Amino acid sequence: MPELNPILIKDLRSRMRGARAYILLTIYLLILAGVTLLLYAALAGETVNDLNAGRRIGQALFFTIATVALIEVCLITPVLTSGSIAGEKERQTYDLLVASLLTPWQIVWGKLVSALAFALILIIAIVPVMSLAFLFGGVGLTEVLIAIAGLIATAVLYAAIGLFWSAMLQSSLGATSFAIGTVIVLLLGMPFLIVIASLILGSRAPSDLLDSVWFIYLSRFVAALHPFIALGSTASQLSNGGDAFFEVVRTGTGNVVAPSPWVLYTALSLIFTTVLLAASVRSIQSAQSARDGRKRPSRTKE
Amino acid sequence: MTPIVETHDLTRRYGSNLALDHLNLAIPQGAIFGFIGPNGAGKTTTMRILTTLLPPTSGEARIAGVSVTRDARAVRRMVGFMPDFFGVYDNMKSWEYLDFFGRSYGIPAQRRQQLIGELLELVDLGHKRNEPAMSLSRGMKQRLSLARTMMHDPRLLILDEPASGLDPRARIELRELLKELRAMGKTIMISSHILTELAEMCTHIGIIERGKLLAAGEVQEILRTMRPHRIVEIRVVSGAARAEEALRAHPDVLELRRESARAESDGEEAPLNDETGPHTLLADFAGDEYALGELLAMLIAAGVRISHFAEQSGDLEDIFLHVTKGIV
Repeated sequence: MPELNPILIKDLRSRMRGARAYILLTIYLLILAGVTLLLYAALAGETVNDLNAGRRIGQALFFTIATVALIEVCLITPVLTSGSIAGEKERQTYDLLVASLLTPWQIVWGKLVSALAFALILIIAIVPVMSLAFLFGGVGLTEVLIAIAGLIATAVLYAAIGLFWSAMLQSSLGATSFAIGTVIVLLLGMPFLIVIASLILGSRAPSDLLDSVWFIYLSRFVAALHPFIALGSTASQLSNGGDAFFEVVRTGTGNVVAPSPWVLYTALSLIFTTVLLAASVRSIQSAQSARDGRKRPSRTKE
Repeated sequence: MTPIVETHDLTRRYGSNLALDHLNLAIPQGAIFGFIGPNGAGKTTTMRILTTLLPPTSGEARIAGVSVTRDARAVRRMVGFMPDFFGVYDNMKSWEYLDFFGRSYGIPAQRRQQLIGELLELVDLGHKRNEPAMSLSRGMKQRLSLARTMMHDPRLLILDEPASGLDPRARIELRELLKELRAMGKTIMISSHILTELAEMCTHIGIIERGKLLAAGEVQEILRTMRPHRIVEIRVVSGAARAEEALRAHPDVLELRRESARAESDGEEAPLNDETGPHTLLADFAGDEYALGELLAMLIAAGVRISHFAEQSGDLEDIFLHVTKGIV
């Protein structure tokens, strides 16, 4: 039977040994449970005489839990991976790995999967909390499965972002700063640009431009770069009775069928993840020649 | 012996800085090769090229006939590298450290478990098997690191300053371990600043300065080449004055010195007095071994009683200072 990736075994041993992993998981679940409890307390008071109260509470709980989980995944996964390869460089074990028979792909894959294994624990841990929404109704299995798929796609992409910076930079601090910076640009910069573009186009753009197929696809593409916009749009589409996989956009000239935002987001995440992993592998491959002219401090004696 | 390491015009530049300048090196199989040079001479650069961690700017390096640039993977199978630092992982026990590198070299699980036990015993760390690697002393970490380099049973061990920062006991233990590894048929390339230790354990040395190889070969051969004359130490129990006179008159004796403090107090010019003896004389002798034998016979024939007559063992430090200019 082929053995598991050595990096994966080593990192899982290091990551799961000791109290750190359990403390992080506990804090993560405490935040989720706290938010859920507060939301329930607020909604239960407001909807005493509402016949659809259960349905409304269920939907609100589900979307809040999914949003908090998504924020946590966006922030935790790049931090998990940003120290992985840069940490090897800091510990001066990187050369030992490169001089072994491990391929750059094995190193990158092992680092990614070990971080994702932990991220997956975080995602699985929210399922019981998320399932509370079923008790109240208003949420179907499709919504839950799409939310989990979106969380997994986000975890993989954001872990790849952290890994990319970790392979490119020499220090964990630098890699973590760049990874968090990238996440902030993606999560805050993208909506800002969309708002600016809508303000400009909303007042000046001709209607035939806004109704054109390429514009509709472009706008869906841009929106699908942001997990909250993509998954939020999907939730809105589903609650209006839309299809889980396709979106029908009505225009003045007819209907345009586009993939559902979560499908597009998942596909784009997969593409960007592949590109980032390939860049990380390449960075390790070219590490030897990249050292040209900038020897590390520990080598300066020679 | 067939060379296991061969470099031809190996050159490495860091920008405008020339770290290695057409280095031509050959290390025979089974040798303990001491790589000597001042800081910044190019030792680590050479070692990193040989371990495929750094590509040469030009020239060629081969391990057992395999080019380090063309088939890095095959070279990595044959080479065990121990850098001048000990990279540790948090929360990792000694056996897990070896297990990880065993996996990294594709050693099957069953063989790996057996090897870990054997290697921990070899480096005398069997009792530290379940201890965190981080908690080991510096000497123990070095030994664990050496065990790591042995995990894939390499033919060549490249050790960069392995004795650096170790206390005397740990150094002695390391030296004994290296001798044991050599007995197991390993070729060892080792760099160090502690020349007396290298002289004791190395069969071959190479002296490098500013990226150029100044001298390389068998230790005794280098000592002979670098020092054209022998230094003969003669301890005279009686007849010291006669011995001194005969030695000064001998055509192969280039210079004669008195060693003992008492001789100095007697005065350099005054003849040696047997009553204040025994005296030790140091003669720079230009003749070969036959001439040396004749010198001894001549002294005995002259009635000089000798308790010690021996060629002084070579001093690597003298050679090192003689060969290098200290300009790095």
